[in-house]
Amino acid sequence: MKLRAIGMRRFLRVSSALIILGLLVEIVSLLWFHPLAFVLFAFVGVVLIGLGILVYLISLVFAASPPTENRG
Amino acid sequence: MTGATEILVALIAVTIVLAAVFLVRPSITAGVTGKILAFVGLCILPALCVDAGMSAHMQRSEQTQFCISCHAMETHGLSLYVDDPNYIPANHFQNHLVPADQACYACHTDYTIFGPFKDKLQGLKRIYLQYVSTPPKVIEISGGYSNLQCLHCHAGARSFEENPIHSAMMDSLTSNQVSCITSGCHDTIHNADQLGNVKMWRPGQ
Repeated sequence: MKLRAIGMRRFLRVSSALIILGLLVEIVSLLWFHPLAFVLFAFVGVVLIGLGILVYLISLVFAASPPTENRG
Repeated sequence: MTGATEILVALIAVTIVLAAVFLVRPSITAGVTGKILAFVGLCILPALCVDAGMSAHMQRSEQTQFCISCHAMETHGLSLYVDDPNYIPANHFQNHLVPADQACYACHTDYTIFGPFKDKLQGLKRIYLQYVSTPPKVIEISGGYSNLQCLHCHAGARSFEENPIHSAMMDSLTSNQVSCITSGCHDTIHNADQLGNVKMWRPGQ
């Protein structure tokens, strides 16, 4: 149970970090008026935020799965 | 920055603050409120930011200033100020026959359901050529310029329909068999490589 809790926290930290990085990239892309800003947003920002959301969703699955020692 | 962009930046800032809370103290997700906050801060709000950001970038890429901010397009932007009504893009831009702030987009997008998306893919290809591969010396539209982009506005207009030359070849024009701009009728387009020899229009003078 303890290991599972630590794993969940790590997932949340990674997810938060990825989302924050992606959002910072998005802000830079919005303030930068250049065709490359779209590329920066689409290929860096969206990927980072998407990965962050994915890691968070994985953490939900991880938290919802029953601990191994309680099975049987 | 427009009002919509300011709101989006504010939304992003709120999301960053919320995500930072879970970065520093992930243990708050132990309670029900924390779990709901995590779902909002790490799933709903970031997804909303991506959606709004994509929309903002798509709208911004329709602006004339956006297109000509690319070095390769500078001369094309300059060609909009040629003081000669025979220059089709300049005539449309200067007389507001197309919205001046969306002059490029008005004539260079496919008016189909996936038109703007196809244009963005073409734009990405050009960015790839510009920064990774070798940019072409002369910028050309792959597949040629479609008449449908002219007819999107001109079809049905009295001055266009009642023109005897147009009406005589209407089927060829609508089926794109005869090009409006390369058939010898309206062939003075941007001519971006010859701008040194033409008189330029300066607004307000």
